[in-house]
Amino acid sequence: MSDIRETFAKRYADFLSPLAVRLEEHLVDLFRGYPRIDRITARAKAVDSFVAKAERKDNGNLKYDDPLNQIQDQLGARIIAFYKSDAEKIAQEVPKYFRHIESRKIVPDSEKEFGYEGIHFILFVPMELYDEQQPVIEFFELQVKTLFQHAWSEADHNLGYKPFAPLSRDQKRRLAFTAAQAWGADHVFDELCRQTVGGSGRFSGPSD
Amino acid sequence: MELSTIHSFLVRPGKSDETQQDISGAAVPLTGKLFEMLKPVFVHAETECQHNIAFLPAEDGAQNNECRNALIAYIKNSDVASGRAIAKRLQEVTTRRSGLGLLFLLTGNENGVTKLVVSRFPADSAILAEEKHKTLNVEFLERVFMKSATTYKAAVYSGSSFAKDFWKGKADDKQLANSDRYIADYWIREFLRSDFLTPGQAGTRRFALAVRNTINQSSEPSVKADIAAIQHLMKNMRKQVISPKRILDRFNVADVTRDEIRSHYQGVGTFDDNFTFVPDEFSKHLAVQTIEIDNGAQLSAPTDKFEEIFETEVVNGSTGIVRISTQGRIVDRRLRKGRK
Repeated sequence: MSDIRETFAKRYADFLSPLAVRLEEHLVDLFRGYPRIDRITARAKAVDSFVAKAERKDNGNLKYDDPLNQIQDQLGARIIAFYKSDAEKIAQEVPKYFRHIESRKIVPDSEKEFGYEGIHFILFVPMELYDEQQPVIEFFELQVKTLFQHAWSEADHNLGYKPFAPLSRDQKRRLAFTAAQAWGADHVFDELCRQTVGGSGRFSGPSD
Repeated sequence: MELSTIHSFLVRPGKSDETQQDISGAAVPLTGKLFEMLKPVFVHAETECQHNIAFLPAEDGAQNNECRNALIAYIKNSDVASGRAIAKRLQEVTTRRSGLGLLFLLTGNENGVTKLVVSRFPADSAILAEEKHKTLNVEFLERVFMKSATTYKAAVYSGSSFAKDFWKGKADDKQLANSDRYIADYWIREFLRSDFLTPGQAGTRRFALAVRNTINQSSEPSVKADIAAIQHLMKNMRKQVISPKRILDRFNVADVTRDEIRSHYQGVGTFDDNFTFVPDEFSKHLAVQTIEIDNGAQLSAPTDKFEEIFETEVVNGSTGIVRISTQGRIVDRRLRKGRK
């Protein structure tokens, strides 16, 4: 794993970090003028986080036999919108401006569950953002979420992914409870938005 | 990179047929005249294939493309059976109009990088003329497969990782600009289940911004005049497959203007990158045209109506003095921040 750490650390410094800056600028330019976007960010995956993911096991075997090529969120971006219908409209715009190889609306498996929600894409890095003929990575992950989905997933990630102290059943249930509240807040705010401002704002496509 | 395996398959039209005909296929020896003919097809594929393409995900958005899967299976196995699966895909989308074709799969490997070329030679008829003892024998030949200048098709993929690579490639399809949707969609969209790497809106926006940045940043009056002319001509441009370079070729844009527009393109190959031009996207980014006069006046109007709204009369040709006039009712008045 030390080889992978070393290789990724170099990739992080030389390629991914500067590319993340360019990607964020590109996304901000593209979605300038869209209503109710709270923030747009892009980041290169932290070295420790990449190594931890590369070491993940599935049934006792390493999940990735070629992590440097298989892990597709080495470069990630997020668009956080105020309300649910705004996030959905942004998600409809994304394929017009980026070629994607995957798009997923992530919701809990059962209607009785509450948990992580968001719209995820795996997109080609646009050609204008790199100078190499054959870039070291081809893709980045874009997540489109509401403010509440984002807030919940950040807290869940912070509390729920601690390998040294697995959460108890009661703690997991409380996390699910907060997810239900976030879900409820999203629905109420979306409804209020439609009733008051009528979901208005320019959604005719990205700006320049 | 050396060409190391060749397989060939006879592909009949089979679109909409409930029962698909069996497909004959064979390995082609790596010596002889056929090999020598195919070698340049393999070696020059990246140059001949000018369209950057990418495989599309499954209908449900999953990261899965059945054509890519078939190509990867062929690269891994390099045998007639896995090649036949690709030929079957092609047969299932081939109509009688496209007709009989000979599919070649060519692969090579060097320093861990594998390259695959998929090419379709359409069937044609021909006349064979043989001179023997001062006499000429002519014979009609059917099922002659030619690298036709108008209907030959190819695609090339290369990479070292099945996880990261082989999602994008390059394609050659002379019929893409055909207004007949089936002809245009046959090779890239139906058979390869792919689309251009750059979506239409993205490519159009990139071009519109390059044009706008050029007119806003250039200090050359002739460049600004050229851009105004391009904008005017672009009004009639329909949705079509084109690259920035070909747009400028079509309008015979002067080298100085072309170079300035090109300088606003970032990244390798973006200036030659093909995409489907989207007229609405173009006009969205160049909606308002403003001209500034040396007396301090700034005149703005929608780009597509600028010439109609303002009438320009030359007062003194040698000094470039003009009189610009318009008439109407004042409906609004605005103040904005100055440049200083």
